[in-house]
Amino acid sequence: MKLKIYSYLTVLLAVFMAGCEYDNYEPPKSTLTGQIVHNGEPIGVRSNAVRLELRQPGPEYPLWKTTPININIAQDGTFSAVLFDGNYKLTRVRGNGPWADQNDTINVEVRGSSMVEVPVDPFFIIKNAAIKKGTSTIDATFNLQQVNTTRQLERVNLYVSSTNIVDATNQRASAQKVAADINGLNAPVTLSVNISSLPAAVAGKQYVFARVGVKTVGIQELAYSAPIKIQLK
Amino acid sequence: MKSIYKYLFLGASLLPLAACEDDFLERQSPTLIKEEQVWNDPKMITSLLANYYDRLPTSLSTLSNWADFAAYDEAMWSGNNDDRNNLVTYGTNRWELWDYGLIRDINLALENLDKFGTTLTAAQKTQFQSELRFLRAYTYFEHVKRMGGVPIITNQLIYDFSGNVTPLQQPRNKEAEVYDFIATELDAVKDNIGNGVSQTRANKFTVLALKSRAMLYAGSIAKYNNLMGAPIATPGGEVGIPADKANDYYTKSLEASKEIINSGTYSLYQRNPDLGENFFDAITKKSNNPEAIFAQDFSVTKDKRISFTYDNIARNVREDNLSSSNITPTLNLVEDFEYLDGTQGILKNRTADNSDYIYYDRPQDIFANKDARLYGTVVYPGTAFRGLPVEIQAGVKVWTGSGYNTVESGQLGTNYTDGKLLTGSSGPHRSITEVSNSGFYMRKYIDPTPMSSTRGIRSELWWIRFRYAEILLNAAEAALELNMPAEALGYVNKVRERAGFGANSLTTLTVERLRNERRVELAFEDHRVWDLKRWRIAHEIWNGSATNEDAIPMALYPYRVVRPGHPTHDKIVYDKLVAPRFRAPRNFQLNNYYSAIPQNVLNSNPKITRNPFQ
Repeated sequence: MKLKIYSYLTVLLAVFMAGCEYDNYEPPKSTLTGQIVHNGEPIGVRSNAVRLELRQPGPEYPLWKTTPININIAQDGTFSAVLFDGNYKLTRVRGNGPWADQNDTINVEVRGSSMVEVPVDPFFIIKNAAIKKGTSTIDATFNLQQVNTTRQLERVNLYVSSTNIVDATNQRASAQKVAADINGLNAPVTLSVNISSLPAAVAGKQYVFARVGVKTVGIQELAYSAPIKIQLK
Repeated sequence: MKSIYKYLFLGASLLPLAACEDDFLERQSPTLIKEEQVWNDPKMITSLLANYYDRLPTSLSTLSNWADFAAYDEAMWSGNNDDRNNLVTYGTNRWELWDYGLIRDINLALENLDKFGTTLTAAQKTQFQSELRFLRAYTYFEHVKRMGGVPIITNQLIYDFSGNVTPLQQPRNKEAEVYDFIATELDAVKDNIGNGVSQTRANKFTVLALKSRAMLYAGSIAKYNNLMGAPIATPGGEVGIPADKANDYYTKSLEASKEIINSGTYSLYQRNPDLGENFFDAITKKSNNPEAIFAQDFSVTKDKRISFTYDNIARNVREDNLSSSNITPTLNLVEDFEYLDGTQGILKNRTADNSDYIYYDRPQDIFANKDARLYGTVVYPGTAFRGLPVEIQAGVKVWTGSGYNTVESGQLGTNYTDGKLLTGSSGPHRSITEVSNSGFYMRKYIDPTPMSSTRGIRSELWWIRFRYAEILLNAAEAALELNMPAEALGYVNKVRERAGFGANSLTTLTVERLRNERRVELAFEDHRVWDLKRWRIAHEIWNGSATNEDAIPMALYPYRVVRPGHPTHDKIVYDKLVAPRFRAPRNFQLNNYYSAIPQNVLNSNPKITRNPFQ
């Protein structure tokens, strides 16, 4: 009797084991990579803040019904996503990045690995950013260039962080200059942060990272330069 | 065994005979209530109304989402986990609300009341209809302040199964249209709603109070949104109100407030000669409270209770062995309470040239001559709760001959080597959770009833949605915006007089002063976020900058001086510091002014336009 129960259990176990399969679907394998550019130059943004939307409409499924795949833009303006092969529509989200709204859609075909450049129309961009360590300060010099002229300049900021992710929310010290204190867009702008304003744990490190950003009135995100490593010691 | 079967068989064969009744198939169901029964029975309608009252959307209250009081600039989080101290940004859907389930239920009730309510008297019918329309207006206000304009639906939308859903897809109304709808609805029902002076069911003055608040919101959005560098608006007006409407809204708000004030039905609570306790009583006393206009009530005997007291009572007066002290007020809020002579409320812990501490005899002395509302809102060092002293001391400062050596304990309620107190049994502590990290505790809305901070009993303190002091401040703000400073001063001075400032304490009034008055009077009453939003300054005050003192919660740590033989021995000094467990400065972004329209709403209705920044 006992033996019989065990043999039944073994059969049962075998049946359960046979039912275990990992997945019904192959995971997506194709990759879409790309970059936010203006005139071929990438635009830096705040990490984890600016996104694009990718949608895949079908014949029975119009564009407005689709739930977008959010694609976050990395701080250097690049982005990537792992997707199934297919035709997608890539859109810029209104008011989301430091550039003007654009309603046009970019058609993206994903087969294997694909590349796409997303041109944007920024309000302000930073040119020739140079950030150096002075005697007791970190000094930045850069030029501002206005591209889209529909909005005004609000301010510029210099951010310093202990890691190479640097922006308005990831920073340990900052300096700011509002538009009224900036003499026109032609002259270079300077900003400096006192090293003493950094927390002791950060100021004691070998190096820090710094970036400058420019803020447009009514646009929540700043356009940034590339992060620069500053040797403190 | 066999004999049992025999009886069973006999019994079974008799059953069909017994069951024969004439109207067997036409009995009334004992479990289903028909529409005719509901809509002709005032008691059943009332219990239905209770359900709708219960479902009114709230963003922060002592019942729901209270933890998020620690997510802005009134308090920080001293409980377990660090979520609210480390909010890098606020989510774009943080204030999302799309409760058309409730709106549909109210619309359905209004229609059924008309259709089935045959035996109700005309007066009963209008009364119930008015109450339902008030609840609907309230719900629309909760929507418009979070989402901007939403579709105004006032009747049931019924699907005809034709395969065509376009008649059900309604576009968003303009933001201004929703506010106008609220005003018209409230005007229409205010004289028919009845309910005397009930504080838990809407009466005429509740209706006016909602109008006072809603119109003030509309007015300030109309004014301040258009003063922004780039107003937040959509081309169709779903978001954004034209500037020329501001005066009209402010006027409507002022009229509604004045109708409440001039009726003489309500007054500020002034029954306790101790002004600090009086302000606490104004919120917590449920009987004979002339100030509360509309509240959500709780009852221990009816098993409708809240655990706000259990979760937030000061550490050493708690009656349970867990939780407590989760949301703790910050120094920023404490310093916004002015001194009674009208000067700014900055606490004086250092000498004017910052060369030395100022030495106080007792922990509470640094708070001397502050606005009495501070006591009623916050438990600060040297005060008591429920008659028990709340022991707040961070550690000792030992004189080394040239300076102070700070000694703090890793445990609560410990003594220093001199046998006197080191760290108080209520902290503050830099790292222990469930003890204040900021140096202060909640008093407002903490129930002083014995056993109310235990998990078994909990509290039945009510949550006040509208009270008279807010109406006075609404009136003051509307009057000030309408350029009637004398009238505005009259209202705001009444509120300040109750707080101990004496009669006519202000002779001039600025917008900033009035805003600060709202901050201190209405702290922890779910006003701060909405006020900053409608004034369009939230993104400036909470700008996410580590150098902005408004965006960072500060703490106040009291220490006892150990310097035997010196006059400063055993005196109390205070350190102001950034709250130790705090990480990310408050960062309110432009896309937080209006929450994103939910994706499922966009997916099911192409006529819904997105919000700005979405």
